[in-house]
Amino acid sequence: MLELVDLSRRFGRVVALDSVSFSVAEGEMVGFVGPNGAGKTTAMRIALGVLEPDHGEVRWRGKPVDAAMRRRFGYMPEERGLYPKMRVLDQLVYLARLHGLSRTDALMESRRMTEVLGVAGRARDRTDALSLGNQQRVQLAAALVHRPEVLVLDEAFSGLDPVGVDVLSGVLREQAAAGVPVVFSSHQLDLVERLCESVVLIDRGRIVAAGKISHLRAADPRRLVRVEVAGADPSWYGTLAGVRVLDPLPEGAILELSDSTRERDVLDAAQVAGVVRHFSVVRPSLTEIFRKAVQE
Amino acid sequence: MESDRGAFRLVARREFVERARDRSFIVSTAITLLVLVGFILVNAFLGGETRFELGVVGEGSRATARAVEAAAPSLGFAASLETFDSESQANAALRDGSVDAVLVDGRRVLVVSEAPEQLLAVIQVVSARERTARELEAAGLTPEEVERALDAPPLPVQALEPLDEQSEESSVVAFVGVLALYGQLLSYGYWVASGVVEEKASRVVEVLLATIRPKQLLRGKILGIGLLGLCQLLLIGVVGLTVARAAGTLTFPAGALAAVGAVLLWFVLGFFFYSSLFAVAGAIVPRQEDLQTTMTPLTILVLVSFLIGISAVGDPSTTLATVASLLPFSAPLVMPSRMVLGQLSVWQGLLSAGIIVGATFALIPLATRMYSNAVLRTGRVRILDVLRGER
Repeated sequence: MLELVDLSRRFGRVVALDSVSFSVAEGEMVGFVGPNGAGKTTAMRIALGVLEPDHGEVRWRGKPVDAAMRRRFGYMPEERGLYPKMRVLDQLVYLARLHGLSRTDALMESRRMTEVLGVAGRARDRTDALSLGNQQRVQLAAALVHRPEVLVLDEAFSGLDPVGVDVLSGVLREQAAAGVPVVFSSHQLDLVERLCESVVLIDRGRIVAAGKISHLRAADPRRLVRVEVAGADPSWYGTLAGVRVLDPLPEGAILELSDSTRERDVLDAAQVAGVVRHFSVVRPSLTEIFRKAVQE
Repeated sequence: MESDRGAFRLVARREFVERARDRSFIVSTAITLLVLVGFILVNAFLGGETRFELGVVGEGSRATARAVEAAAPSLGFAASLETFDSESQANAALRDGSVDAVLVDGRRVLVVSEAPEQLLAVIQVVSARERTARELEAAGLTPEEVERALDAPPLPVQALEPLDEQSEESSVVAFVGVLALYGQLLSYGYWVASGVVEEKASRVVEVLLATIRPKQLLRGKILGIGLLGLCQLLLIGVVGLTVARAAGTLTFPAGALAAVGAVLLWFVLGFFFYSSLFAVAGAIVPRQEDLQTTMTPLTILVLVSFLIGISAVGDPSTTLATVASLLPFSAPLVMPSRMVLGQLSVWQGLLSAGIIVGATFALIPLATRMYSNAVLRTGRVRILDVLRGER
């Protein structure tokens, strides 16, 4: 288990992290979400030893992480970084060796990674000659080339096209299935919801919610309905008492009902407004949980 | 599992290999070698002996002309003779420049408008001597007596400041050495700075610092780049010495070899002193374009030291040269010429080397701290902040 224990860190007068603790079990994939500037990158940098915490520690399999253990971690920073002039394969071999692989293993694993990620044909090219999408793949290869025991990815999916998202999702699932604890930050909450069982929500340097997504959703007391009405003026639900628009949809909305409002009354109003295409009682999505947590 | 030392070696090797096979590096090294070889060969060609052609007309010129030919080398040139059947032929040769002067019947010298002074002087001296000899023989002296009378030994010349050919050659070698050191320190210092910026601007530094300490990254980089600079300098020195020796322009190879050794030694000392400063100059700027501003104080320091170094080639014993050869920032550019020109006691050399090594060891932890504090930050970083370690 990877544990971040009571991490605090200040930059001048700004408190970036305030007693942040969470853990990721082996084989678990955790989404690390929060608004910009909430402290996600700081926490991840501390986990990787790029930054020192002012207080607290990072543990792996129960022991405080040292330099040798960290070399077996895999990391993809938010701001991607590769040597632009270095050839792809040389770059991967170099990074693999920094992570402690022998020369032969480094070469073997680097070749394997370029094949897995579909950039084997460009292995001899300079990195800056590759398209941005392919550079992203090399970046991922760089994070995985040493078969890391722990995987930390900052803004894992930013800048990826849908195919890239699928490739990365597949790779992360495989890693988790192989027993690697995977933690990644992302603003794409639908993706987090699809990929992760658990989530950690951070805001202004503090953890505001953490746990299994299903538990968080179940624990949310809000009553929501999703309703779609074809051809109706969206103003129809504006007149309903005890109803608040949580999320407008193209032909409807997700509505939050006050305690005294019945689902039945909303459905009746919808039928008056037009042809009801969809009506369901829903649990709050991660986006809604996120919004609520951040507002509080 | 690689140890910390292993990571440091990996960084150094990457710096060395990646730069050594960079096309611009290979091209610039080749150009440097070409210029050097060209310089030596042109010098060898121009510096060859001076040769004059003397036209000879008539039997009466023979003996005088041969005596001129024999006397010429002692005056620092060679004379070769060309015999003409008639004065008009000789005139034509004189006009087309194939001879420098013509001796007619041992009585007259023909020139176009003027002839090389050395050649004329020798002709005049030889001819005067022969005419005097004839007069003396006519007056009844035996040829031996004439010989004795005319072969008075030259007056001894005592120089207040004897011209030392070795020291002249040493000056040239020292000048080339200072020039090479200046170029090498500046360009390899720049490489350290721009290498740091490259890692910072491309953000690869964060990937690296997730596996190694900033200290290892910095020291590996400096070692790799410095080693490459040393190898390049060694290559230039070996090629230069070999070509100069083959072309015959090197009269005192031992002196030149010592000079190359001094340049290599002071490159190492100077590079390690300056490199950590250049690394800090790189760490506090976000982009290559901003590097010029932070590097300027360093380049000025190197330039001023270079100028003192050049003046020390002319006169290595000035107070300025002595002081500058002890200060760590200027010693690398002043010390080699003083060493080569022999204006140095052993203790001065050791003291100077000791000072720069001490200064380097004092500087490295400070520079490492500043580098570590600055390298992960984006934007321009204030030097006071990284000194204090404020974040």
